[in-house]
Amino acid sequence: MAEKGQVDIEHLGGVTRLREEHEKVVKDCESRIQHWKKVSGDYEALNDRLKTLPDQLSYDIMVPFGPLAFMPGKLVHTNEVTVLLGDNWFAKCSAKQAQKIVDHRMKYVKNELDGLSKTIKNFEARVGFAKNLETISASKGDYVDIREEVGNNDSVVTKGKQRMAHKPNSKPKQDVFFDFKEEDEENEEESRDSGSRKCIMTEEELWARLDELEKLEELQDEQDKLSDNGDMNGEDTSSSSSEEEKDADAATPVNGLSLKPGWSALPSSTAPLRQDRKEEDDFEEEEEANCLPTIYFSHTVEPKKVRINTGKNTTLKFSERKEQKEHSKRKKKNGHSNGHAHHELHKITTPADLYRLFVDVKNGEPIPRKSILKSRSRENSVCSDTSESSAADFEERRIMGRSFSHDEATHSDTSDGITEEDSPTAVLLQPPSRFEAFSGTVIEKDPMPSAVPHLTISPPALPTILERKQEEVAPDVAPPQQAPKRVSKFKAARLQQK
Amino acid sequence: MAEAIQKKLKVEVEKYAQMQKEVSKSMSARQKLETQLTENNIVKEELDLLDCSNTVYKLIGPVLVKQDLDEAKATVAKRLEYINGEIQRYETLLKDMEKKSEQHREVLSSLQQEFQKAQGLAVGKV
Repeated sequence: MAEKGQVDIEHLGGVTRLREEHEKVVKDCESRIQHWKKVSGDYEALNDRLKTLPDQLSYDIMVPFGPLAFMPGKLVHTNEVTVLLGDNWFAKCSAKQAQKIVDHRMKYVKNELDGLSKTIKNFEARVGFAKNLETISASKGDYVDIREEVGNNDSVVTKGKQRMAHKPNSKPKQDVFFDFKEEDEENEEESRDSGSRKCIMTEEELWARLDELEKLEELQDEQDKLSDNGDMNGEDTSSSSSEEEKDADAATPVNGLSLKPGWSALPSSTAPLRQDRKEEDDFEEEEEANCLPTIYFSHTVEPKKVRINTGKNTTLKFSERKEQKEHSKRKKKNGHSNGHAHHELHKITTPADLYRLFVDVKNGEPIPRKSILKSRSRENSVCSDTSESSAADFEERRIMGRSFSHDEATHSDTSDGITEEDSPTAVLLQPPSRFEAFSGTVIEKDPMPSAVPHLTISPPALPTILERKQEEVAPDVAPPQQAPKRVSKFKAARLQQK
Repeated sequence: MAEAIQKKLKVEVEKYAQMQKEVSKSMSARQKLETQLTENNIVKEELDLLDCSNTVYKLIGPVLVKQDLDEAKATVAKRLEYINGEIQRYETLLKDMEKKSEQHREVLSSLQQEFQKAQGLAVGKV
């Protein structure tokens, strides 16, 4: 109650002041009105005088002589009047013209008077209202003001959903938490020695990470649907929003991470564009590794849940691909250097590229890993893990073998041999410096049906067996058909090996 | 600390008072011009009403000098224009002065706040 009383007193003070101001204005108006009334009276008198002046030719009057004396005199030229027009301008006119001028001025005075009377009426009304307000606020009068306090309620009932802030700084906590979590992880990773190897995440961890990121994406998608269109800051696609946030912090490592959801969401419709974009980002931001990156293949691990279909049937497992991306991510983290020049070098299109890029570090020296494609005993290799065998599979391997041979310095001629189906003659086989799954030439002979059935044979140890078969078969077939001078390349190879 | 602020405050107050004086001066000048404007308007109207028969005089000092009606009209028009120009000039001047006085006012208020704080601190200490 005391507070209310205080409020009333304040109100009262304000109202009183208002009333006083109003009254001031009213008084001012009144004084002006008085003035104008006087003027108008004067003009009236003047009018009368002008009317009567021309009645006589001359008048006997007592002329004022200084401030104290008068002199008897005559007033002549009663019709000639010199009128002050204003601003030291005079005009000689007749009495009637003077009258006209006077009338003019009378009009002006009247206008002023009218305006003033209006204002005074207004302010009198306001004064009355202020008086009433005074009495009410003092709670003296009959009328009482109904006042309701508006407090800051905790229990505010709002229709519909609570709106979410859309400014970048005020994103929902959940996302922020997520991003911080990611940032923390990345910061931790960054803080480690740049040259150090990162322990590989087990596959289960990777899958868990994937799931997390998927959920995050879904959340962001929901938010995007809810949010306004007008606000630009947070409202791009979920990927870009996450990208923005991530780019703001550590740009490069995040891309590797953000790529994963792209991978997992590959089947979904929205993924491809983003994935492509992120892949591009990935490649664009790849920089040369200051240290030697290493790659760990979990070849011995059991088959994975998902197999990525990148167009052709790939032999690479999902985890391998992920590891690749992790490696690229790690390489990015390792530092910035001329990126674009090495752009092509780092581009991995074939498994051969892998071996080119990732090398083992033994005793501080880089030793290129042996290609698994080359190993004779490939029973335990990854490629052998694939359960299905198809023609496409083998084709792929052959092509890979060929491309690999392309990269090898020692090979040159034999790579064209794959497409040669017509030529019965065998192309000279260059002695391979290393073990190759497939030299790259196929000797297609009519009485050699074994070239066809090998396609349907299960992959394990397939190439090696095939090679042997070919070696065995070809020399058998070759000698009777060909001149004794020419030796089949397989035989030559065997001879050389011996 | 409080004393220094007090001194500053005084200086600022003086400056502000000056500003206000200047403002009021220009205000009054402008008002004069306004009255002259209205007067000249009336004169113009009256001259338009007059015909050639009446002679027009101009009061220059104690002397009434005869003037031609047309000349008188032209002179009055010119004067009107001149007055208008003067009014414009004074208006711009007033605006600038208003801005300056505003700035001064802000400075003053901030200084006052500081002063009050300092006083409060002093009271607290004591």
